[in-house]
Amino acid sequence: MRRLIFNLIISALVLMPFEIYAQQEILIGLVPEQNIFKQMDRYRPLAAYLSEKIGVKIRLTILSRYGDVVERFALRGMDGAFLNSLGAAMAITKLGVEPVARRVNLDGTSTIHGYIFVRADSNINSVKDMKGKRIAFVDRATASGYLFAIAFLQKNGISDIDKYFAEYFFTGSPDSAIYSVLDNRADIGCTSSIIFNALVSKDPTIKRELRVIAQSEEFPENTLCLRKNIPQEIKNRITDILLNMNQDPAGKEILKKFGAVKFIKTTVKDFSPIFNLAKRARVDIRKYKGER
Amino acid sequence: MGIKSNVQRQLIRCLITIVTFLIFVSQGFAEKKTIGVIMTGNNPYYIKMHQAFITKLSSEGYDVEILLQRPYPDPVSWSNAARKLIAVDVDIIVTYGAPATLAAVYEKTNIPIVYAGVPKPNAIALAGKNITGAMSNAPTSSLIRYLKRITGISNLGVLYSESEEDSLKQLEELTRLSSELGFRIVKINIKWLEDVKKIRTAEKLDALFLTYSASVNMALDAIVDIAKARKLPTASILKGEDNSGVIITLSASPEEQGEIAAEKVIKILRGAHPGTLSPTNGKNIELIFNLKENTAMGFKIPMDIVTEATKIIQ
Repeated sequence: MRRLIFNLIISALVLMPFEIYAQQEILIGLVPEQNIFKQMDRYRPLAAYLSEKIGVKIRLTILSRYGDVVERFALRGMDGAFLNSLGAAMAITKLGVEPVARRVNLDGTSTIHGYIFVRADSNINSVKDMKGKRIAFVDRATASGYLFAIAFLQKNGISDIDKYFAEYFFTGSPDSAIYSVLDNRADIGCTSSIIFNALVSKDPTIKRELRVIAQSEEFPENTLCLRKNIPQEIKNRITDILLNMNQDPAGKEILKKFGAVKFIKTTVKDFSPIFNLAKRARVDIRKYKGER
Repeated sequence: MGIKSNVQRQLIRCLITIVTFLIFVSQGFAEKKTIGVIMTGNNPYYIKMHQAFITKLSSEGYDVEILLQRPYPDPVSWSNAARKLIAVDVDIIVTYGAPATLAAVYEKTNIPIVYAGVPKPNAIALAGKNITGAMSNAPTSSLIRYLKRITGISNLGVLYSESEEDSLKQLEELTRLSSELGFRIVKINIKWLEDVKKIRTAEKLDALFLTYSASVNMALDAIVDIAKARKLPTASILKGEDNSGVIITLSASPEEQGEIAAEKVIKILRGAHPGTLSPTNGKNIELIFNLKENTAMGFKIPMDIVTEATKIIQ
């Protein structure tokens, strides 16, 4: 009898973390991939689907900007986040988060490029022509909207952007970097290929008015990363649901609204291009905060 | 003999000193230069530009005489204004906007011409040995994109003036954009104030686009009154007063344009030849949303475009 009680207590203690966890919500962060209002609308159905399947409410929170990722994970007790490639690389390195899955877009892509672009009527064709101009970055904590451009400039002998450009500023979102150049508020822009191509496909005048002058290698697109001490059961369930939701009619419907065909498995190895890019940009990811 | 020659030498020295002083003083008076300015009508955009021009010259220590011409926006008035300035032989002619600049250029004067607030000088063949200035390049297509995000546009009323070259060029560009973006243009030529009545009687309109035209901008109050009554959002390429009632403005900063013009004038006054001074593109583009008027008219500017604004009027 004593042995039975002992076993019951041990079993209860073993199951407790999961049970306690199961009663709480799961907080997932979103980096400002596009306009945050549109982005919330896009992710809400996915969160509701996951909540229903897991049986735990998934709550979304927008990170005010890309660089908040590491601090927010710790301060706000976030359980996971859909992170841009550099944010994920920083969180993997500093917090040991585990990348689990990323979406495959409707056009079949699951990676992004960084673009450096100008107005089509601009006389800027090379780094040399950029001297004394205005450049719009997205955020220091983005690969496509900053790190690639810095590595590109370094490769072309430019290490001090304060001296080289008349002005540089951070737009906070990739679409905003595009509008800055379209409006002539900046001469050069740096942004994500996904957002650039999406805007171009909607509006033919944008394609005519902008010209890409440099393109990076591929990086994984926004990836769901979970904190390392989430119970493995929860981690597995979230991953399984995401990876198999394209087999479920209801899941397919949600994916369609989300603008994806499926989710695919993503591992730390997928982020090698980001770690290599950081080296070329002379950025130490262990110390990098991505602050403006 | 020796004493006499000493006196003579001293007299000569005195004379040389007096003559040198007189030459210096006369040159000092001659230093005050005259700048002739052609500013069309009472357009707030040009008024801001002119104020910045004067302030910049003054802050750089230039005490110049300004001869201001304020012609009505029509070719004869612009031409007369340019001729008057040439007749009084001003040292430099400063012009705001393309029509005033073209009027000065047509007179084939050797007086240096410095322009400001000209969107695309090459498009109107604005070039010459004695001309330079400040380009104001706020893209028309961007303004259309913002307008389309506020309201669906099937029929866009374009307010232009057939006597103003830059306004006509913008109308051409809008026509191209309309076929690409799938809307129809309703052309409304505004030459006189009473022409704004055409907006009231125009067929179905979804929004109004105010081109570079000085005539259009001089009739702004009347235009905005009609726009409010017909609940038509308005978009302008020229920054006006905060209370102008225009819903969206994408404009090259008039203050920066005025300052660039002043810098060019200073360089010319210091001896530079205008032909050696490349035109300068203004870098300060302002995107202004008037949320107050927009809400009053029942429209909603999406938050994602509000975040793009450089200024919001609440």
